[in-house]
Amino acid sequence: MNPAHPNPHQASFRDPSGYVYDDGGTIRRRIQPIYFKQYQSLTDSGFYKTLISKGLLIPHTETNRTETEITITPEFIPFITYPYEWSFEQLKHAALLTLQIQKYALSKGFILKDASAYNVTFHKGKAVFIDTLSFDFYEEDTPWRAYKQFITHFFGPLVLAKNHGTEMLKMLQTHIDGISVSLISSLLPAKTKLNSTLYTNIHLLAKMENKHSEDYKAETKVAKLSKKAQNNILSLLFNAIKKLEVKGASEWGDYYSKTNYDNASFTAKKELIREWTLPLKPKSLIDIGGNDGTFARTVLDEVDDVLVTDIDYNAVEHNYHQVQKNNEVNMLPFVCDVLQPAPGIGLNNEERFSLLKRLKMFAPDVTFALALIHHVTLSGNVPFAKSAEFFATFSNYLVIEFPKREDSWVTSLLVRKREFINHFDFYNETQFEEGYALYFETLQKQQIEGTHRVLYLLKKK
Amino acid sequence: MNMFSVVSLYFDPGLGAMIVQAVVAAAAGVLLFSKNAWYKVKLFFGMIKDENDNYDSIDIEEKEDDESSAS
Repeated sequence: MNPAHPNPHQASFRDPSGYVYDDGGTIRRRIQPIYFKQYQSLTDSGFYKTLISKGLLIPHTETNRTETEITITPEFIPFITYPYEWSFEQLKHAALLTLQIQKYALSKGFILKDASAYNVTFHKGKAVFIDTLSFDFYEEDTPWRAYKQFITHFFGPLVLAKNHGTEMLKMLQTHIDGISVSLISSLLPAKTKLNSTLYTNIHLLAKMENKHSEDYKAETKVAKLSKKAQNNILSLLFNAIKKLEVKGASEWGDYYSKTNYDNASFTAKKELIREWTLPLKPKSLIDIGGNDGTFARTVLDEVDDVLVTDIDYNAVEHNYHQVQKNNEVNMLPFVCDVLQPAPGIGLNNEERFSLLKRLKMFAPDVTFALALIHHVTLSGNVPFAKSAEFFATFSNYLVIEFPKREDSWVTSLLVRKREFINHFDFYNETQFEEGYALYFETLQKQQIEGTHRVLYLLKKK
Repeated sequence: MNMFSVVSLYFDPGLGAMIVQAVVAAAAGVLLFSKNAWYKVKLFFGMIKDENDNYDSIDIEEKEDDESSAS
Protein backbone atom coordinates (compact mmCIF):
# COMPACT_ATOMS: atom_id res chain seq x y z
CA MET A 1 0.00 0.00 0.00
CA ASN A 2 2.50 2.60 1.08
CA PRO A 3 5.53 2.71 -1.15
CA ALA A 4 8.71 2.32 0.77
CA HIS A 5 9.40 5.58 2.47
CA PRO A 6 12.15 6.19 4.97
CA ASN A 7 10.03 7.74 7.70
CA PRO A 8 6.33 7.01 7.33
CA HIS A 9 4.35 8.07 10.37
CA GLN A 10 3.32 5.05 12.44
CA ALA A 11 -0.32 6.14 12.58
CA SER A 12 -0.67 6.49 8.84
CA PHE A 13 -1.12 3.18 7.10
CA ARG A 14 -4.81 2.48 7.04
CA ASP A 15 -6.10 4.96 4.50
CA PRO A 16 -4.94 4.24 0.93
CA SER A 17 -5.49 7.88 -0.08
CA GLY A 18 -2.09 8.90 1.13
CA TYR A 19 0.24 8.80 4.06
CA VAL A 20 2.04 11.07 6.46
CA TYR A 21 5.80 11.02 6.76
CA ASP A 22 8.52 12.78 8.65
CA ASP A 23 10.78 14.74 6.34
CA GLY A 24 13.67 15.65 8.58
CA GLY A 25 11.42 17.04 11.29
CA THR A 26 8.76 18.43 8.97
CA ILE A 27 5.52 16.50 8.76
CA ARG A 28 4.32 16.08 5.18
CA ARG A 29 1.44 14.26 3.56
CA ARG A 30 1.91 12.31 0.33
CA ILE A 31 -1.23 11.94 -1.73
CA GLN A 32 -1.56 8.81 -3.85
CA PRO A 33 -2.94 8.85 -7.43
CA ILE A 34 -6.06 7.00 -6.21
CA TYR A 35 -7.03 10.20 -4.37
CA PHE A 36 -5.96 12.82 -6.95
CA LYS A 37 -9.47 13.34 -8.22
CA GLN A 38 -10.90 13.96 -4.78
CA TYR A 39 -8.02 16.19 -3.74
CA GLN A 40 -8.32 18.27 -6.90
CA SER A 41 -12.02 18.69 -6.50
CA LEU A 42 -11.75 19.61 -2.80
CA THR A 43 -9.12 22.18 -3.71
CA ASP A 44 -10.73 23.65 -6.83
CA SER A 45 -14.20 23.96 -5.33
CA GLY A 46 -12.84 26.06 -2.48
CA PHE A 47 -13.95 23.42 0.01
CA TYR A 48 -10.56 23.21 1.73
CA LYS A 49 -10.21 26.96 1.62
CA THR A 50 -13.48 27.59 3.43
CA LEU A 51 -12.78 25.08 6.19
CA ILE A 52 -9.26 26.41 6.63
CA SER A 53 -10.35 30.04 6.74
CA LYS A 54 -12.90 29.12 9.40
CA GLY A 55 -10.15 27.53 11.46
CA LEU A 56 -11.85 24.14 11.28
CA LEU A 57 -9.24 22.34 9.18
CA ILE A 58 -5.47 22.49 9.59
CA PRO A 59 -4.01 24.75 6.86
CA HIS A 60 -1.72 23.13 4.30
CA THR A 61 0.33 24.16 1.31
CA GLU A 62 0.99 22.05 -1.74
CA THR A 63 4.74 21.61 -1.77
CA ASN A 64 5.25 19.18 -4.60
CA ARG A 65 3.30 17.94 -7.60
CA THR A 66 4.22 15.47 -10.30
CA GLU A 67 2.17 13.12 -12.46
CA THR A 68 2.40 10.38 -9.87
CA GLU A 69 2.50 12.16 -6.55
CA ILE A 70 1.31 15.25 -4.77
CA THR A 71 2.79 16.35 -1.47
CA ILE A 72 1.16 18.76 0.91
CA THR A 73 2.73 20.20 4.03
CA PRO A 74 0.33 20.97 6.87
CA GLU A 75 0.86 23.70 9.43
CA PHE A 76 3.12 22.55 12.25
CA ILE A 77 1.34 21.39 15.41
CA PRO A 78 3.72 21.53 18.37
CA PHE A 79 2.06 18.82 20.45
CA ILE A 80 -0.58 16.24 19.60
CA THR A 81 -3.01 15.17 22.30
CA TYR A 82 -5.20 12.10 21.94
CA PRO A 83 -8.92 11.62 22.70
CA TYR A 84 -8.17 9.70 25.91
CA GLU A 85 -6.29 12.74 27.21
CA TRP A 86 -9.14 15.18 26.66
CA SER A 87 -11.62 16.54 29.14
CA PHE A 88 -15.33 16.00 28.56
CA GLU A 89 -15.78 19.41 26.96
CA GLN A 90 -12.79 18.85 24.68
CA LEU A 91 -14.21 15.57 23.38
CA LYS A 92 -17.55 17.29 23.00
CA HIS A 93 -16.05 20.05 20.88
CA ALA A 94 -14.20 17.52 18.75
CA ALA A 95 -17.52 15.72 18.19
CA LEU A 96 -19.36 18.91 17.26
CA LEU A 97 -16.56 19.87 14.88
CA THR A 98 -16.83 16.51 13.14
CA LEU A 99 -20.59 16.95 12.66
CA GLN A 100 -20.20 20.52 11.41
CA ILE A 101 -17.68 19.36 8.85
CA GLN A 102 -19.79 16.41 7.72
CA LYS A 103 -22.85 18.62 7.30
CA TYR A 104 -20.88 21.18 5.33
CA ALA A 105 -19.25 18.46 3.24
CA LEU A 106 -22.66 17.05 2.41
CA SER A 107 -23.87 20.43 1.21
CA LYS A 108 -20.90 20.57 -1.18
CA GLY A 109 -21.20 17.05 -2.52
CA PHE A 110 -18.62 15.45 -0.26
CA ILE A 111 -18.64 13.26 2.83
CA LEU A 112 -16.37 12.53 5.71
CA LYS A 113 -15.37 8.98 4.88
CA ASP A 114 -14.38 8.32 8.47
CA ALA A 115 -15.24 9.88 11.80
CA SER A 116 -12.34 8.82 13.96
CA ALA A 117 -11.68 10.98 17.02
CA TYR A 118 -8.02 10.89 16.01
CA ASN A 119 -8.90 13.09 13.05
CA VAL A 120 -9.13 15.93 15.52
CA THR A 121 -6.60 17.47 17.86
CA PHE A 122 -6.26 20.71 19.80
CA HIS A 123 -4.21 23.48 18.30
CA LYS A 124 -4.14 27.21 19.03
CA GLY A 125 -6.72 26.76 21.76
CA LYS A 126 -9.32 25.04 19.58
CA ALA A 127 -10.34 21.68 18.20
CA VAL A 128 -9.09 21.37 14.63
CA PHE A 129 -9.56 18.67 12.01
CA ILE A 130 -6.18 17.33 10.94
CA ASP A 131 -6.91 14.55 8.46
CA THR A 132 -7.03 16.50 5.21
CA LEU A 133 -7.65 13.36 3.16
CA SER A 134 -10.69 12.18 5.14
CA PHE A 135 -13.10 13.39 2.45
CA ASP A 136 -14.68 11.60 -0.46
CA PHE A 137 -17.42 12.27 -3.01
CA TYR A 138 -21.00 11.97 -1.84
CA GLU A 139 -23.11 9.45 -3.72
CA GLU A 140 -26.75 10.41 -3.90
CA ASP A 141 -28.97 8.63 -1.34
CA THR A 142 -26.24 6.74 0.45
CA PRO A 143 -26.16 6.58 4.25
CA TRP A 144 -23.15 7.96 6.11
CA ARG A 145 -20.52 5.24 6.14
CA ALA A 146 -18.82 6.74 9.15
CA TYR A 147 -22.00 6.94 11.22
CA LYS A 148 -21.18 3.97 13.45
CA GLN A 149 -17.65 5.20 13.92
CA PHE A 150 -18.98 8.56 15.05
CA ILE A 151 -21.10 6.81 17.68
CA THR A 152 -18.27 4.61 18.94
CA HIS A 153 -15.66 7.39 18.99
CA PHE A 154 -17.75 10.33 20.14
CA PHE A 155 -21.41 10.04 21.00
CA GLY A 156 -21.18 6.77 22.95
CA PRO A 157 -18.20 7.78 25.12
CA LEU A 158 -19.79 11.17 25.85
CA VAL A 159 -23.08 9.57 26.88
CA LEU A 160 -21.19 7.05 29.04
CA ALA A 161 -19.33 9.90 30.74
CA LYS A 162 -22.57 11.73 31.36
CA ASN A 163 -24.03 8.64 33.04
CA HIS A 164 -20.98 7.29 34.87
CA GLY A 165 -18.52 10.17 35.16
CA THR A 166 -15.53 11.40 33.18
CA GLU A 167 -13.34 8.43 34.13
CA MET A 168 -15.27 6.57 31.42
CA LEU A 169 -13.37 8.57 28.82
CA LYS A 170 -10.24 6.63 29.76
CA MET A 171 -11.81 3.63 28.03
CA LEU A 172 -10.83 5.26 24.75
CA GLN A 173 -7.25 4.33 25.56
CA THR A 174 -8.04 0.62 25.51
CA HIS A 175 -10.51 0.88 22.63
CA ILE A 176 -8.49 2.47 19.89
CA ASP A 177 -11.29 2.22 17.34
CA GLY A 178 -13.97 3.41 19.70
CA ILE A 179 -16.07 1.61 22.29
CA SER A 180 -18.27 -0.97 20.58
CA VAL A 181 -21.96 -0.10 20.37
CA SER A 182 -22.96 -3.30 22.15
CA LEU A 183 -20.70 -2.41 25.08
CA ILE A 184 -22.00 1.16 25.19
CA SER A 185 -25.56 -0.13 25.06
CA SER A 186 -25.00 -2.63 27.85
CA LEU A 187 -23.31 -0.08 30.09
CA LEU A 188 -26.09 2.47 29.84
CA PRO A 189 -28.92 2.47 32.39
CA ALA A 190 -32.27 1.08 31.19
CA LYS A 191 -33.91 4.49 31.38
CA THR A 192 -31.85 5.63 28.39
CA LYS A 193 -34.03 3.37 26.24
CA LEU A 194 -36.88 5.78 26.84
CA ASN A 195 -34.96 8.60 25.22
CA SER A 196 -35.63 8.48 21.47
CA THR A 197 -32.21 9.87 20.54
CA LEU A 198 -30.33 7.42 22.77
CA TYR A 199 -32.61 4.55 21.87
CA THR A 200 -32.18 4.90 18.13
CA ASN A 201 -28.53 5.96 18.00
CA ILE A 202 -27.25 3.46 20.54
CA HIS A 203 -29.60 0.67 21.62
CA LEU A 204 -31.27 0.13 18.27
CA LEU A 205 -27.96 0.50 16.48
CA ALA A 206 -26.46 -2.17 18.74
CA LYS A 207 -29.40 -4.46 18.04
CA MET A 208 -29.15 -3.98 14.29
CA GLU A 209 -25.41 -4.46 14.26
CA ASN A 210 -25.84 -7.66 16.20
CA LYS A 211 -28.56 -8.88 13.86
CA HIS A 212 -26.54 -8.25 10.73
CA SER A 213 -23.14 -9.28 12.04
CA GLU A 214 -23.44 -12.67 10.36
CA ASP A 215 -24.39 -11.31 6.99
CA TYR A 216 -21.29 -12.12 5.03
CA LYS A 217 -22.83 -11.01 1.78
CA ALA A 218 -22.24 -7.47 2.96
CA GLU A 219 -23.58 -4.73 0.77
CA THR A 220 -26.00 -6.97 -1.09
CA LYS A 221 -28.87 -4.94 0.25
CA VAL A 222 -27.97 -1.37 -0.45
CA ALA A 223 -29.50 0.78 2.24
CA LYS A 224 -30.77 4.12 1.00
CA LEU A 225 -30.96 7.39 2.82
CA SER A 226 -31.81 10.78 1.38
CA LYS A 227 -29.55 13.74 1.93
CA LYS A 228 -32.26 15.49 3.90
CA ALA A 229 -32.64 12.47 6.18
CA GLN A 230 -28.90 12.39 6.75
CA ASN A 231 -28.93 16.08 7.60
CA ASN A 232 -31.61 15.34 10.18
CA ILE A 233 -29.38 12.76 11.85
CA LEU A 234 -26.47 15.21 11.93
CA SER A 235 -28.58 18.03 13.36
CA LEU A 236 -30.13 15.76 15.95
CA LEU A 237 -26.74 14.46 17.11
CA PHE A 238 -25.37 17.99 17.15
CA ASN A 239 -28.20 19.26 19.35
CA ALA A 240 -28.02 16.24 21.64
CA ILE A 241 -24.26 16.52 22.11
CA LYS A 242 -24.42 20.25 22.71
CA LYS A 243 -26.68 19.61 25.68
CA LEU A 244 -24.64 16.82 27.26
CA GLU A 245 -23.11 17.69 30.59
CA VAL A 246 -21.35 15.79 33.32
CA LYS A 247 -21.90 16.18 37.00
CA GLY A 248 -19.29 18.25 38.73
CA ALA A 249 -18.18 19.99 35.58
CA SER A 250 -20.00 23.12 36.59
CA GLU A 251 -18.52 23.21 40.05
CA TRP A 252 -15.19 24.66 39.03
CA GLY A 253 -16.48 28.14 39.72
CA ASP A 254 -15.17 28.00 43.26
CA TYR A 255 -12.11 26.00 42.40
CA TYR A 256 -9.63 28.54 43.74
CA SER A 257 -11.20 28.87 47.15
CA LYS A 258 -11.08 25.11 47.61
CA THR A 259 -7.47 24.56 46.68
CA ASN A 260 -5.50 27.56 47.80
CA TYR A 261 -3.48 28.76 50.65
CA ASP A 262 -3.38 32.38 51.75
CA ASN A 263 -3.25 35.14 49.23
CA ALA A 264 0.14 36.63 50.08
CA SER A 265 2.02 33.36 49.69
CA PHE A 266 0.07 32.64 46.54
CA THR A 267 1.26 35.89 45.03
CA ALA A 268 4.80 35.35 46.32
CA LYS A 269 4.92 31.96 44.62
CA LYS A 270 3.64 33.40 41.35
CA GLU A 271 6.23 36.18 41.39
CA LEU A 272 9.08 33.83 42.18
CA ILE A 273 8.10 31.52 39.33
CA ARG A 274 7.95 34.37 36.86
CA GLU A 275 11.20 35.85 38.10
CA TRP A 276 13.07 32.57 37.62
CA THR A 277 11.42 31.47 34.39
CA LEU A 278 11.55 34.57 32.20
CA PRO A 279 15.35 35.00 32.11
CA LEU A 280 15.54 31.48 30.64
CA LYS A 281 13.55 32.78 27.63
CA PRO A 282 11.68 29.50 27.18
CA LYS A 283 9.86 28.83 23.93
CA SER A 284 8.08 25.80 25.30
CA LEU A 285 6.94 24.86 28.75
CA ILE A 286 4.99 22.13 30.48
CA ASP A 287 3.33 22.35 33.86
CA ILE A 288 2.83 18.85 35.21
CA GLY A 289 0.10 18.62 37.81
CA GLY A 290 -0.64 22.19 36.83
CA ASN A 291 -4.24 22.15 38.00
CA ASP A 292 -6.26 24.75 36.08
CA GLY A 293 -3.16 26.48 34.70
CA THR A 294 -3.01 29.25 37.29
CA PHE A 295 0.77 29.15 37.63
CA ALA A 296 1.52 28.47 33.98
CA ARG A 297 -0.54 31.56 33.17
CA THR A 298 1.94 33.74 35.06
CA VAL A 299 4.36 33.25 32.15
CA LEU A 300 1.88 32.60 29.34
CA ASP A 301 2.49 35.98 27.70
CA GLU A 302 6.18 35.18 27.23
CA VAL A 303 6.16 31.55 26.10
CA ASP A 304 5.16 30.28 22.64
CA ASP A 305 3.73 26.91 23.67
CA VAL A 306 2.49 25.97 27.09
CA LEU A 307 1.12 22.55 28.06
CA VAL A 308 -0.68 22.04 31.34
CA THR A 309 -1.58 18.56 32.52
CA ASP A 310 -3.50 17.40 35.51
CA ILE A 311 -4.97 14.15 36.77
CA ASP A 312 -8.21 15.91 37.66
CA TYR A 313 -10.75 16.17 34.83
CA ASN A 314 -12.43 19.15 36.48
CA ALA A 315 -9.18 21.08 36.68
CA VAL A 316 -8.45 20.40 33.01
CA GLU A 317 -12.00 21.37 32.13
CA HIS A 318 -11.69 24.61 34.06
CA ASN A 319 -8.42 25.35 32.29
CA TYR A 320 -9.97 24.64 28.89
CA HIS A 321 -12.84 27.01 29.66
CA GLN A 322 -10.35 29.76 30.43
CA VAL A 323 -8.50 29.05 27.19
CA GLN A 324 -11.73 29.61 25.31
CA LYS A 325 -12.89 32.58 27.33
CA ASN A 326 -9.57 34.40 26.96
CA ASN A 327 -8.95 33.16 23.40
CA GLU A 328 -5.57 31.82 24.42
CA VAL A 329 -3.75 30.30 21.46
CA ASN A 330 -0.65 28.99 23.22
CA MET A 331 -2.16 27.05 26.12
CA LEU A 332 -2.99 23.37 25.76
CA PRO A 333 -4.62 21.60 28.72
CA PHE A 334 -4.92 17.82 28.89
CA VAL A 335 -5.47 15.02 31.37
CA CYS A 336 -2.49 13.02 32.60
CA ASP A 337 -1.73 10.83 35.58
CA VAL A 338 1.99 11.22 36.23
CA LEU A 339 2.14 7.78 37.79
CA GLN A 340 0.57 6.26 34.70
CA PRO A 341 1.19 8.45 31.65
CA ALA A 342 -0.50 7.45 28.37
CA PRO A 343 1.31 4.46 26.84
CA GLY A 344 1.99 3.85 23.16
CA ILE A 345 -1.01 2.02 21.69
CA GLY A 346 -2.14 0.46 18.44
CA LEU A 347 -0.04 -1.47 15.94
CA ASN A 348 3.49 -2.06 17.26
CA ASN A 349 2.50 0.16 20.20
CA GLU A 350 3.40 3.03 17.91
CA GLU A 351 0.21 4.12 16.22
CA ARG A 352 -0.45 6.56 19.05
CA PHE A 353 2.73 7.63 20.74
CA SER A 354 3.28 7.35 24.46
CA LEU A 355 3.17 10.59 26.40
CA LEU A 356 6.88 10.29 27.18
CA LYS A 357 7.78 9.91 23.53
CA ARG A 358 5.74 12.98 22.63
CA LEU A 359 7.24 14.94 25.53
CA LYS A 360 10.75 14.05 24.39
CA MET A 361 9.91 15.33 20.90
CA PHE A 362 8.28 18.44 22.34
CA ALA A 363 11.37 18.90 24.53
CA PRO A 364 10.04 21.63 26.80
CA ASP A 365 12.63 24.24 27.75
CA VAL A 366 11.10 24.51 31.19
CA THR A 367 9.08 22.04 33.26
CA PHE A 368 7.00 23.05 36.26
CA ALA A 369 6.23 20.55 39.00
CA LEU A 370 4.43 22.56 41.63
CA ALA A 371 2.61 21.04 44.58
CA LEU A 372 3.16 17.65 43.00
CA ILE A 373 6.17 15.91 44.53
CA HIS A 374 4.48 15.11 47.87
CA HIS A 375 1.66 13.33 46.03
CA VAL A 376 4.08 11.41 43.82
CA THR A 377 6.35 10.51 46.73
CA LEU A 378 3.86 9.86 49.49
CA SER A 379 0.73 8.69 47.68
CA GLY A 380 2.59 7.01 44.83
CA ASN A 381 5.50 5.76 46.97
CA VAL A 382 7.94 6.89 44.29
CA PRO A 383 11.50 7.48 45.62
CA PHE A 384 13.02 10.90 44.87
CA ALA A 385 15.64 9.44 42.55
CA LYS A 386 12.90 7.81 40.45
CA SER A 387 10.80 10.94 40.06
CA ALA A 388 13.96 12.91 39.29
CA GLU A 389 14.77 10.38 36.57
CA PHE A 390 11.27 10.82 35.13
CA PHE A 391 11.59 14.60 34.89
CA ALA A 392 15.12 14.30 33.52
CA THR A 393 13.95 12.28 30.50
CA PHE A 394 12.36 15.34 28.91
CA SER A 395 13.13 18.45 30.96
CA ASN A 396 15.95 20.89 30.65
CA TYR A 397 15.11 23.36 33.42
CA LEU A 398 12.85 22.19 36.22
CA VAL A 399 10.99 24.46 38.63
CA ILE A 400 9.93 22.16 41.43
CA GLU A 401 8.19 22.83 44.70
CA PHE A 402 9.01 20.80 47.77
CA PRO A 403 6.49 20.96 50.62
CA LYS A 404 8.22 20.16 53.89
CA ARG A 405 6.94 17.75 56.51
CA GLU A 406 5.35 20.66 58.41
CA ASP A 407 3.11 21.50 55.43
CA SER A 408 -0.50 20.63 56.23
CA TRP A 409 -0.95 18.51 53.08
CA VAL A 410 2.21 16.53 53.77
CA THR A 411 1.28 16.06 57.42
CA SER A 412 -2.09 14.70 56.39
CA LEU A 413 -0.55 12.35 53.80
CA LEU A 414 1.94 11.10 56.40
CA VAL A 415 -0.70 10.55 59.06
CA ARG A 416 -2.56 8.30 56.66
CA LYS A 417 0.47 6.00 56.58
CA ARG A 418 -0.37 5.04 60.19
CA GLU A 419 2.05 2.42 61.53
CA PHE A 420 4.19 2.71 58.40
CA ILE A 421 4.90 6.37 58.96
CA ASN A 422 8.54 5.60 59.84
CA HIS A 423 9.06 4.19 56.38
CA PHE A 424 8.66 7.74 55.12
CA ASP A 425 11.33 9.38 57.26
CA PHE A 426 13.23 9.87 54.01
CA TYR A 427 10.71 12.52 53.04
CA ASN A 428 12.79 15.58 53.91
CA GLU A 429 14.64 18.41 52.21
CA THR A 430 18.07 16.80 52.41
CA GLN A 431 17.03 13.51 50.83
CA PHE A 432 15.00 15.33 48.21
CA GLU A 433 18.07 17.34 47.23
CA GLU A 434 20.25 14.22 47.15
CA GLY A 435 17.80 12.37 44.92
CA TYR A 436 17.46 15.20 42.47
CA ALA A 437 21.22 15.89 42.49
CA LEU A 438 21.65 12.63 40.57
CA TYR A 439 20.14 14.28 37.49
CA PHE A 440 19.99 18.01 38.16
CA GLU A 441 22.07 20.83 39.54
CA THR A 442 20.45 23.44 41.76
CA LEU A 443 20.46 26.98 40.38
CA GLN A 444 18.05 28.58 42.85
CA LYS A 445 16.40 27.62 46.11
CA GLN A 446 13.98 29.69 48.14
CA GLN A 447 11.33 29.14 50.75
CA ILE A 448 7.94 30.55 49.73
CA GLU A 449 6.91 33.29 52.12
CA GLY A 450 4.42 32.25 54.75
CA THR A 451 4.48 28.56 53.82
CA HIS A 452 6.42 25.41 54.60
CA ARG A 453 7.24 24.99 50.95
CA VAL A 454 10.56 25.41 49.18
CA LEU A 455 10.87 26.29 45.52
CA TYR A 456 13.85 25.07 43.46
CA LEU A 457 15.13 25.95 40.03
CA LEU A 458 17.09 22.98 38.72
CA LYS A 459 19.03 22.42 35.52
CA LYS A 460 19.60 19.04 33.96
CA LYS A 461 23.16 17.79 34.27
CA MET B 1 -16.97 -0.36 -11.17
CA ASN B 2 -18.11 2.48 -9.04
CA MET B 3 -15.79 5.41 -9.53
CA PHE B 4 -16.53 6.99 -6.19
CA SER B 5 -16.25 4.54 -3.40
CA VAL B 6 -12.83 3.06 -4.05
CA VAL B 7 -11.29 5.02 -1.26
CA SER B 8 -14.15 4.67 1.17
CA LEU B 9 -13.97 0.93 1.43
CA TYR B 10 -11.04 0.58 3.72
CA PHE B 11 -13.11 0.06 6.82
CA ASP B 12 -16.36 -1.75 7.44
CA PRO B 13 -19.18 0.70 8.05
CA GLY B 14 -21.36 -2.09 9.45
CA LEU B 15 -24.42 -3.22 7.52
CA GLY B 16 -26.67 -2.82 10.55
CA ALA B 17 -25.38 0.71 11.02
CA MET B 18 -26.18 1.53 7.39
CA ILE B 19 -29.70 0.16 7.62
CA VAL B 20 -30.51 1.68 11.00
CA GLN B 21 -29.85 5.19 9.75
CA ALA B 22 -33.23 5.26 8.03
CA VAL B 23 -34.94 4.70 11.39
CA VAL B 24 -32.63 7.12 13.20
CA ALA B 25 -33.32 9.75 10.56
CA ALA B 26 -37.07 9.26 10.81
CA ALA B 27 -36.98 9.65 14.58
CA ALA B 28 -34.70 12.66 14.19
CA GLY B 29 -37.10 14.17 11.67
CA VAL B 30 -40.03 13.86 14.04
CA LEU B 31 -38.04 15.30 16.92
CA LEU B 32 -36.65 18.21 14.94
CA PHE B 33 -40.06 18.96 13.49
CA SER B 34 -41.80 18.97 16.87
CA LYS B 35 -39.01 21.03 18.39
CA ASN B 36 -39.34 23.53 15.62
CA ALA B 37 -43.11 23.66 16.02
CA TRP B 38 -42.77 24.11 19.77
CA TYR B 39 -40.21 26.84 19.20
CA LYS B 40 -42.66 28.67 16.96
CA VAL B 41 -45.38 28.35 19.59
CA LYS B 42 -43.08 29.75 22.25
CA LEU B 43 -41.95 32.49 19.92
CA PHE B 44 -45.57 33.42 19.31
CA PHE B 45 -46.21 33.76 23.04
CA GLY B 46 -42.95 35.60 23.64
CA MET B 47 -41.45 32.80 25.71
CA ILE B 48 -38.07 32.68 23.99
CA LYS B 49 -35.05 33.74 25.96
CA ASP B 50 -31.64 34.34 24.44
CA GLU B 51 -29.79 31.07 24.28
CA ASN B 52 -26.21 31.80 25.03
CA ASP B 53 -24.41 28.51 25.01
CA ASN B 54 -20.98 29.35 23.55
CA TYR B 55 -21.31 26.72 20.86
CA ASP B 56 -21.19 27.39 17.16
CA SER B 57 -24.07 26.41 14.98
CA ILE B 58 -23.75 23.21 12.99
CA ASP B 59 -23.98 25.29 9.83
CA ILE B 60 -20.84 26.90 8.54
CA GLU B 61 -21.36 30.46 7.29
CA GLU B 62 -19.54 31.14 4.09
CA LYS B 63 -20.06 34.86 3.75
CA GLU B 64 -16.70 36.22 4.92
CA ASP B 65 -14.76 33.66 2.94
CA ASP B 66 -13.24 36.00 0.47
CA GLU B 67 -11.87 38.37 3.07
CA SER B 68 -10.07 35.90 5.28
CA SER B 69 -7.16 34.24 3.58
CA ALA B 70 -6.46 30.57 3.79
CA SER B 71 -2.87 31.15 4.94
